[in-house]
Amino acid sequence: MSAITSNYKKIKDLNPHESLSAGTSLCAGCGGLEGLRLALKELGDDVIICNAAGCMTLLSVYPFTPLRGSWLYTTMGGPVPAAQGVRDALDIRIQQGDMPESENLQVMVLAGDGSSNDMGMGPTSSAIHRKLDFIYFCYDNEAYGNTGFQLSAASPFGGATQTAPSTGLHPAGAELPKKDLFEIWRAQNPTYIATVSPREPIDLANKFAKAKLMKGPRLFICLSPCPTGWGFDPKETHLIAKLARDTGIFPLKEFFEGKVMHNKVPRKRVPVERYLERQKRFQHLFIPVRQEETLAQIQSRVDAYWSQYE
Amino acid sequence: MLRIRMHGRGGQGIKTAGQILGSAAFLAGFQAQDFPLYGAERRGAPVTSFTRVSPEPVLERGPIGIPDLLLIADATLLESVRPVPLNGADESTTIFINSSLAPETLQQYYQLPSLPVGLNLIPLCRHYLKKANLYSSALASVGARLMGSIDMGFLLEAVEIELEQQGLAEKQIEHNKELAQKVFESLTSVNLQERERTVIKAGSLALLEPRLAADSAPIILAAGNMALRKTGNWRVDRPEIDYKRCNQCLICYARCPEGAISVQESGSPEIDYEHCKGCMICAEECPGNVIQTVSETEDGS
Ligand SMILES: Cc1ncc(C[n+]2csc(CCOP(=O)(O)OP(=O)(O)O)c2C)c(N)n1
Ligand code: SF4
Repeated sequence: MSAITSNYKKIKDLNPHESLSAGTSLCAGCGGLEGLRLALKELGDDVIICNAAGCMTLLSVYPFTPLRGSWLYTTMGGPVPAAQGVRDALDIRIQQGDMPESENLQVMVLAGDGSSNDMGMGPTSSAIHRKLDFIYFCYDNEAYGNTGFQLSAASPFGGATQTAPSTGLHPAGAELPKKDLFEIWRAQNPTYIATVSPREPIDLANKFAKAKLMKGPRLFICLSPCPTGWGFDPKETHLIAKLARDTGIFPLKEFFEGKVMHNKVPRKRVPVERYLERQKRFQHLFIPVRQEETLAQIQSRVDAYWSQYE
Repeated sequence: MLRIRMHGRGGQGIKTAGQILGSAAFLAGFQAQDFPLYGAERRGAPVTSFTRVSPEPVLERGPIGIPDLLLIADATLLESVRPVPLNGADESTTIFINSSLAPETLQQYYQLPSLPVGLNLIPLCRHYLKKANLYSSALASVGARLMGSIDMGFLLEAVEIELEQQGLAEKQIEHNKELAQKVFESLTSVNLQERERTVIKAGSLALLEPRLAADSAPIILAAGNMALRKTGNWRVDRPEIDYKRCNQCLICYARCPEGAISVQESGSPEIDYEHCKGCMICAEECPGNVIQTVSETEDGS
C-alpha cells in the first residue's frame, strides 16, 4: 500500500482517550457501539457526526450526549446531505476567515446498514460523485435494528428477520444475498474504503489513522454483531465477530489507489456453520431439520468469494 | 374490565408476558387485549406492556393510565424520584414486585401507596430456565394467579401457544410451563376486582407558540454528560478482576463496548461499576480467565 502507513501493534498503542462516554442506552454487548468507540479513540474529539436514524441515534438523547465532539441527527435518508451542508459551511467560514483552520472538523456520517444500503444510497452516490470530503461509518448489524430487526438489503441470505421469518413458503428466511456495499462504493472510485471489526482493534485503529489524513469520500463498513437481533448472549459479541472473520464470511479489506487488499486473511477457513449455529437468526437452518441446501449455498458463496483472490 | 400493566426492561420478556396473560384470559373465556410500549427495541431499556381483560368486548384503547394490577419485574425501575411504574397507582391498586424483600420493607423503601405482593422470581427463573431474568412465563403466571379468575390449565396452555409461536424448542417450552406452575402455586389469589375509576381533571389543550430553532431545538451544549446517567443497575452479573492473577494485557479494556474499563496509572484495568451494564464480554474475553462472574441478584447464587 501507499506511503500512508501507520503501525499500531498492541493494545497499549491505542489512544487512551475515550471520546465516547458511558451511560448510553444502547444494548449491553452492542458490537456496533464497540466499533464506534474504537474509531473515535483514533479520530478524537474534533469530529462532527451526522447521524441517520437508527440504534446509534440513542447515543445522544436530550439533554444528554456521550460525545465530546459534535452531533447532528437526521432521518435515514438524510445524513449525507447533512454532511455536505456541514462541510460546505466549515469550508466557507474558514475561507472567509470567520474560523481558524485549526478549528476545522472531520465530518463523519454514522449510519446503519438499512440507511446505507437502502434509502440513503441515492444521496450517498451523488456525494461520492462530487468527491465530498467526509468519512462514512456504516455499522452493519444486518437489519433495521432500532425498530425491531426488520429485513434490510444487507441482511444475509438464510437469516431470519422480523419481516423475513422462516416460513413453510420461505424456509430460508431472507432469500436474497447481502448487497455488496463495498463494491458499490468501489465502482465510484472513492478515496478509501475499509471493512473493520470490533474484534480487531489494532487493524481498525490503523485504518482510521490512515483515513483521517486523507481527503474525499472514505467508507468504513464495521461488522456489528448485535446480541438483540442476531440472538446470542451479549458476552459472545467478540466470539461471533471472530467467527465472522475465521469463516471468511466477513473479509477484512481495504481499497486504496485502485487496489483491493485483504488484511488478516484466515489461513484455513472454518466452516460457516460454526458461525451460523451460535445465532438464533439462523436457528431454522438446523432445527427441526437441517436445511442442507441453504447451508451448502452459504458455504459455496463464501468459497466463491475467496477463490477470486486465492 | 381489569387493567393490568407490567414493567420491566428490554430482554426480560415483558412483551411476551403480556401476550401470555392475554391468551390465558382468552382461553378462560374472557375478551382480552394486549400490547407493549417501548421507546426503542433495546435490551435494558424500560418496557411496559398492557393487558385488558373483560367478559365484555374490550373497546378501550391506548396505554393503561390507571391499572388495577401492577406487575413490576425489575425493581430498579422504582429507584427514581418520580418512578414511572407507579403512574396512576393508589391504595386500591394491587402491586406485585419481583423481590425477596418483605412487603412492609418494599412499601417503605419504595414509598408504595399499598402493601405489595412480593416474590423473588430470579432464583425460580434461574432454576427452571437457566436464565435469571427472563420473566415472560413467570410474570404472566403472577398476573393470572393474582387475578384469580384464570385457571392454571389455561395459563399453561397460553404459555405453550405463545412460546411455540416464538419458535422455542419443545424442551424450553416444557421448562417454562414448569416455571409458570411453580410461580402459580407459590402465590395466593387476591381475587382482583375492578377499581373505582378516578375521574381525572383535564387541563385545556396546550397552545404552542412558534419559536426560533435556536430556542426550541434540542441543542445540547455539554460534552460527554451522558456519563451522568448510570447504567450499572442493568447488571444481573458483575465482572470482578482478580488482580493477583491479572497480567495487564488489557484485552478487557479494548473489548468493552461501554468504555467502562479504564487503565490505571499502574497499568491495571479498572471496572467502572456505575456504568458497566454486565454484558460480561470482559470475563469471556480475558485470556487468563481472571475475571470472575459474580451474581448481583439478591439470592447471590
Ligand atoms: C426516512 C425514514 N424512514 C423511517 C424512519 C424510521 N426508522 C428509524 S430507525 C429505523 C431503522 C434503521 O435501520 P438501520 O439503518 O439498519 O440502523 P439500525 O437501526 O440497525 O441501527 C427506521 C426505519 C426514519 N427515521 N427515517
Ligand atoms: S439492537 Fe443491536 S445494533 Fe442496535 S443497539 Fe442493540 S445490539 Fe446494538
